[in-house]
This record gives sequence, structure tokens and C-alpha cells, in this order.
Amino acid sequence: MRWRVCAIFLGLLAFASAGMARDAKESIEADASTRQVAITSSFTGTEILLFGTVENSVQSSAGAGTYDIVAVVEGVPAPVIVRKKSRVGGLWINTSSMKFMPVPSYYAIVSTRPIDELAEPALLDANGIGFEHIRMVPRQTAWKESLDPAEVASFKEALVRLKERERLYVKSDFGVAFIGRSLFRATVALPPNVPVGPLTVSVYLFKEGKLLGQYKSRLTLEREGVERFIHEVALKKSLLYGLLTVAMATVAGLAAAFAFPRAM
Amino acid sequence: MTLYLPIAEMSVSVAVYLALGTAVGFISGLFGVGGGFLMTPLLTFLGISPAVAVATCNVHVVASSVSGAVVHYRRNNVDVKMALVMLVAGLVGTAIGVDVVRLLRNAGLFELTVSLTYVTFLGVVGTLTLIEGINAWRQVQSSGMSSRRKSGQHNWVDRLPFKVRFQRSKLYISVVPPMVIGMFIGFMSAIMGIGGGFIYIPAMIYILRMPTSVVVGTSLFQIVFVAAFATVLHAWQNQTVDIVLAAILLAGGVVGAQFGTVAGEKLRSDQMRVLLGVLVLIVAARMGYDLVVTPNDLFSLGSLKGS
Repeated sequence: MRWRVCAIFLGLLAFASAGMARDAKESIEADASTRQVAITSSFTGTEILLFGTVENSVQSSAGAGTYDIVAVVEGVPAPVIVRKKSRVGGLWINTSSMKFMPVPSYYAIVSTRPIDELAEPALLDANGIGFEHIRMVPRQTAWKESLDPAEVASFKEALVRLKERERLYVKSDFGVAFIGRSLFRATVALPPNVPVGPLTVSVYLFKEGKLLGQYKSRLTLEREGVERFIHEVALKKSLLYGLLTVAMATVAGLAAAFAFPRAM
Repeated sequence: MTLYLPIAEMSVSVAVYLALGTAVGFISGLFGVGGGFLMTPLLTFLGISPAVAVATCNVHVVASSVSGAVVHYRRNNVDVKMALVMLVAGLVGTAIGVDVVRLLRNAGLFELTVSLTYVTFLGVVGTLTLIEGINAWRQVQSSGMSSRRKSGQHNWVDRLPFKVRFQRSKLYISVVPPMVIGMFIGFMSAIMGIGGGFIYIPAMIYILRMPTSVVVGTSLFQIVFVAAFATVLHAWQNQTVDIVLAAILLAGGVVGAQFGTVAGEKLRSDQMRVLLGVLVLIVAARMGYDLVVTPNDLFSLGSLKGS
């Protein structure tokens, strides 16, 4: 049902954009299929649809490749500690660590082509487009005077690799598809372990390596129902929560003892 | 069927965790132990962060020790006075332990500490249990006797001050050793997410020389309170107790324990000690292996929550 509504909506957008004036400058408009994702006890991840249109498109057909679209969905930035193990007396122990100041907790990037092909690294750096271009600033640790750039790079690379393994950093090089001369769409998967919080959606329009426009919007990931209730009690009334948990365990234990007197 | 865990923040298969609860419950029922020493490592193998695993295991320990303690109390196998003495010290130890957990987590050393304490304790206790069990087994086969008890020996414990009479245990001893034991186990249980039965029982038999008949009941009785206290403190200070995960594990545990108890009645105590010793050593070896073998990835991620 939702898909059909989206399809109709996309159709209307296409119709509207076709009637636009031809000589104006290209710009971009986009949106996500939903503004709010509910995290309930049955949450197993979800997929969001991103769609939009290039205003004043001069593209001859959907497959012409005149424009490049990149969409980035980012979670709330948070500090991350990357630890490295080394062998100490035969045991593998965390011996060094590097703390990176706000790093996106979740980062999904979809594009019409691999991003390295569609713009210069400097431009990608400036906008934080692509895993290698996310702004990651190591925080100076107290016992080290200066940080070795090669070491910083290896920790950064490890951070991205580990986030990718947790499916929190995802990319799809050909994930954005043009449907018509100006219409495009893409889907982004939110895994079950996506950190709860608002997400920022940024959609960029590139043409011949130049950034022509961008569109930003937000969507929220919110706990709902029982999930929200439990989480709030656990955080805000944590003493009560602890007591309730113990009460639950005591009742279960008593029930077992009286229902099955031979047990334990 | 999958459920999203509110504190662990992940979606898990209910069937897997029910099975885990049942298996650990079975072993609890079989050997009369809380099962925390198995549950904590298994949860971390399944991807639950160590801090959440330790805190949530305490909930499971509360339930299994409540149900065990009730049964022993009705059979008059609990030395309440001794339990209270150990308990007072145990709560102090637990409070210190919960604080230490927070410090270690901030320093990124928590996982290592848990692994090292597990390997050490399980290794020592497993070896002792196994040796004792094998000796007892041999004795059973040669003479038909299954238990022996030394008495009339005097050691350092008898020379300590603050002597108190413990009627149920038929003992007149200083309160210092029970308090030290209680505090130490309270501390360990906060760090390891265990009830501590597998440390309590040998300590009560060999150091305090309590009669074997009251040891298990007394140990379970105080574990109820120590584990409950640890649960509340973990929930209050670290916010690492996942009530949904705990409920799934409890449901499995209650069922598993019934089958375990029935199975346990078919085994002799010396055979059980050998089996328990082997099981404890397997867990120790598995954890030790992880510390020694070259990891797949030298790097790991830490955030302010979790590990």
C-alpha cells in the first residue's frame, strides 16, 4: 500500500517537473518515505525510501548519466573509542586506544556511481561524503605529545571497518537510480541495531564534478510503546527499575519452588 | 520470533535465548549451582555487551537461588545466623564491586578483567572439584563410603577473636572468616555476574568447616540477597540490566531446572562433582583460549555505553 502511494506521488512529481521552465538553473528536491520510524519490541530493522527530483533537468533520458546523486543518512554523532590489542606476556590485551570526537553513529551512503568518480576528494571532504571523508578528529590523549599520522589512519580505517561489520556503516555505489529525466529514487536499510535518535538525510546533486545543490531533512527514530516505557523507566527511575527486576525474579523463583517442590 | 531488547539495544531471537535459559537452568538443577558462571560467557558469545551480560545474569541468579533456598529452608537446611553474618559483609563487597565495574569500563579494561578472573577462578575451582570428585569416586568403588569429614583439627581460624555460636551449624567460631569470605564473594559476584555458589561451598566446607548438610542451603539463602543487591545497584548506577532479556532467560531457566533436578537424582554426588569439574574447566579453557589466540581483528570499538 505504502509503495503504491509512493509510486503515485513520484508520478505526480514527474508530471509537475516536466512543466517547469527550461532555462532556469538545476536544483534538487528530495524527501524520505517516512519522517518517523518507530522502534517497538518487534523492531527488526527497516528500509526507508529516498526520492526526489532534479529541477530543470537537461538530462535526455534516465540512463544518460548527466547528473550524479549522492544520498547520505547519518545518525547522531557520538564519541567513539577504538582500542587496539597487542600481545602482553602471551595474552592479547587492549594496550592502545584512540578516541575520536563526534563520529556518526550510523552512516549510510548511496550514489549513482562510486563517489570517487564523481567529485574531487577535497569537495567530498568538505561535505563529509563517503567513509574516507567523514570528519574524524582524534582527541589528543594525555600521555602522548603528538599523534603519528599513520597510526591515526590505521585507527580510522579500523573504525570504519568495524562499523561496517556491525552494518552501521553501509554504502551502495549504484544505489541511486534515475527513473525519468529528473526523478530518482534509492532505498536505505536501517539495521536492527541502529542507534536510536534523529537521523539526518542529505541529498547532493552533482554534475561534471560540481556540487549543484543539496537538500537536507531529518527523520526521527523513536522508541514507542512498551519499548519506550521500559527504556524510560530504566534510565529515569533506575532504582525502581532495579527493584522491579528483582521482584520479577523473586516471583519466578518462588513460583518454580512451589510449583515443582522437587526442583533445585 | 524476534524481540528488540530495550537496554542491550539489539533485536534477538527469542528461541535462542529461551534455549540458553533452559540449558543453564538444566545445569543449575543438575548440580545445585546458580549457573551464572555459564550464562555470562554464553551471553557475551551471543553478542550481548559484557556489562549488560553480567548485570542481567544477576537477575537469573536471584530467581534460581530463591527457588533453591525456599526448598532448603523448608527442610531446615539453612543456618540463618551464619548467612546474615556473611551477607552483611557480602553487601559491602558487592557495592565496592559495582563501583569497580564502572571504573574498569571507563578504562576499557572490563572485558579483560572479566576474562582473567573467570579463567583464574574457574580454572582453580574446576581443578579442585575434579580432583575431589575423582578421589571420592575411587573411594566409593573401593570401600563403598561416599563421604568423610575431618574433625578435631585446630587451625588459624580457631585462634581469631569475636567468637560467636552458630547453633544450626554446631560451630563456635570467630565472625571474621565468614565476613571476609562474604565480602570477597560479594565483590566477585558484582564483577563476574555470578552468585558465587561454586566459591562459597568449598570455602564454607574447608575454611569454616560447616556441616555439608547446611552448606548448600545457607549459601543459596545469602546469594539471593547478594544477587538482588547487585542487580539493583547495576540497574541504578550502570543502567545495564535488561529486563526483557532477563525475563526470557528466567522463563527458560525455570523449565530447565525441573529437568535438571530429575536428572540429578539419577547421579551420585561424586559423579556430579566430576562432571561439574569438567564443565567448569571447559568454560575456563574456552575463555583462556580467547585471551591467548591471535584475535581476528586487533581493533575493537568502545563507546561510553556497553563495553
